[in-house]
Amino acid sequence: MKFKAFLTDNGINLLEKRILPALDKMGRICHLYLTRDHAFFLHNLLAADGVQSVAQFKKESLFNDYRISSNNDDRIAFSVDLSLLHRALRSILAIYADSRDFNPNGLLIKLVKKLPPNSTQATPFLTFEAKGYKSAVVQDVPVSKPLSRADVQELQLAVESCEQLPATLVMAPDLNSLQNCVDGMKHVGDVMGVSVSKYGDLHLQISTSLITLGAEFRKLKVLGERADRVTEDEGLSVQSRVERGVQRGDAMSVQVSVKHYFKCLQCSLAKPDCVFVGIAPQGACLMVFFQFFVPGTRVTDKSFSLHCRLPVLDTGST
Amino acid sequence: MSSSAAVETETEAPDLVCELDSIRGIVDALSSVRWKRLQDALVELSEHGIVIIVEETGCLQAKVYLQRELFIKYEYMAHGRPRFGVSLGLFIDSLNTFSVPGRSNILELRYPGPDMQLMLRSVDSPDACIYAEIRTRIPETISWDYNFEPAGSTPLSFTVKSAALKEAIDDLEWPGSSIQIKLQPSPPSVIFRGEGHGDLQIDFNYYANTDLLIAFSCDRQVSHRYKYKFLRATTSNIPGSVLRDNRGSKVTIGRGGMLKIQHLVSVAKPSVPHPHVDSAGYQQPSRIAYIEFFVKPEVEQEEEEDNVNEDA
Repeated sequence: MKFKAFLTDNGINLLEKRILPALDKMGRICHLYLTRDHAFFLHNLLAADGVQSVAQFKKESLFNDYRISSNNDDRIAFSVDLSLLHRALRSILAIYADSRDFNPNGLLIKLVKKLPPNSTQATPFLTFEAKGYKSAVVQDVPVSKPLSRADVQELQLAVESCEQLPATLVMAPDLNSLQNCVDGMKHVGDVMGVSVSKYGDLHLQISTSLITLGAEFRKLKVLGERADRVTEDEGLSVQSRVERGVQRGDAMSVQVSVKHYFKCLQCSLAKPDCVFVGIAPQGACLMVFFQFFVPGTRVTDKSFSLHCRLPVLDTGST
Repeated sequence: MSSSAAVETETEAPDLVCELDSIRGIVDALSSVRWKRLQDALVELSEHGIVIIVEETGCLQAKVYLQRELFIKYEYMAHGRPRFGVSLGLFIDSLNTFSVPGRSNILELRYPGPDMQLMLRSVDSPDACIYAEIRTRIPETISWDYNFEPAGSTPLSFTVKSAALKEAIDDLEWPGSSIQIKLQPSPPSVIFRGEGHGDLQIDFNYYANTDLLIAFSCDRQVSHRYKYKFLRATTSNIPGSVLRDNRGSKVTIGRGGMLKIQHLVSVAKPSVPHPHVDSAGYQQPSRIAYIEFFVKPEVEQEEEEDNVNEDA
């Protein structure tokens, strides 16, 4: 089992400034899953509950001279503490930034086994290496033992199942105001109803015995299946409009934890250029996709992607 | 009278429909009287504005006056003065949801809704609407009468920088329990004294520091004791804007030792592009919410002078 690659400048920038801060908010521990072509940061994919997040990178978007081999079809997965990884990366950058000439290929990252101090058993580390003018710096980030063949397979299946797209996605409004809104809502209740319609409405609502608090965003950009707005619904209240949309099959509605939703929106730290929200077929989960543009353009950067799946709460009614 | 967005079966005209553009300021004003998480407030509507009253165990009462001048629209259609109870925390939390930093928001407040709710909704954007319906209660009891009467012909009062008052009260935390407030004419000064786990005395001398006491009025010595936790409630949630604007708070002792503390909270529209106003410290008085706290003194043993062991 071997993994060795060089982080490119673009990769370093992406991880250090955007992806790691965002993923750290999703949970400290995540799985790093490496295949021949891709690297994934995965949260909660093997857990039954909690927000799942999938950050997928084509190897070229992060690495140079990417080499991986394992007897499990060249796939390696292990769990890593994101805040340690982030810290190690930041600290080695301090040296790396001044000594680019010595590291023409980029920042070396590799998987090693080492004997930690006061221990007789070698344990795995993800190691960063940079050469400087006078010294070389090595940062070891402890990682878990590699996942078993069965677990890797399960991760792979979970990643693939994530690819079941909602029929309709709507583009969320300005992330800042959405975040502010959900932040306010999380003080008021625990369960949030989210509905997405084929005519571009996104509706969030918390309802308790004391308060109903909601936000409706309309005429959003729609991807996938769309439908025309029904004019006679226009005069109705927000709630009845949503109900009628659901009855007609033009809208879907699920309930999720407000805390999950808020956590997921913290992916804004990755500075996405736009966000799409949709409900998976059969209301299996709420999905939030963060899209990134190729810098300086309005073209979606296909080399990496980030999305979250929020578990749907069982309301007891079928 | 404009009736906007008729919602299903509207029965009759609401008592009040108003709009405000400074949610932040209103949140600040209301938060200053929120001294615990779960707190019931009594809301009273009138043609002059909205008054929000909260109180605690018959010893502490706070009022927030939101005069109609603070609203960009204020349509009052009720007879009498409708009153209702609402959870202060929920009210503040939902108002917070409406205020998006860096953007001006207009919020409509309407009472009552079809089920006697307090209805809020944002009205500034046709395609994005935030709304809230907060359940109201019939107020249970008529709040106890805080008829504040002056203690004599000369008012016993002083005005002090809000920040200094807050600091003094915060410092009195460690002796805790009961705090004596004494006003004396010569030398003109205000003395806070805490006796509990230890003794701590804080003196505001009128002549020693002209910046501290902005005004002082006292013709005879007066001294009363107040429970620390009630005093603390009067300053613990003063919004940052009050301290930044360097505002003053007025403290008055009334008949029977009733303490009245008044703060001024700016309810200015955020980021008013007005080159002459460098900070919110200089504004027309109509953009101020008035906050009043009333604290009852501790019941003292008959003797006025020496209050030895108080264990209320």
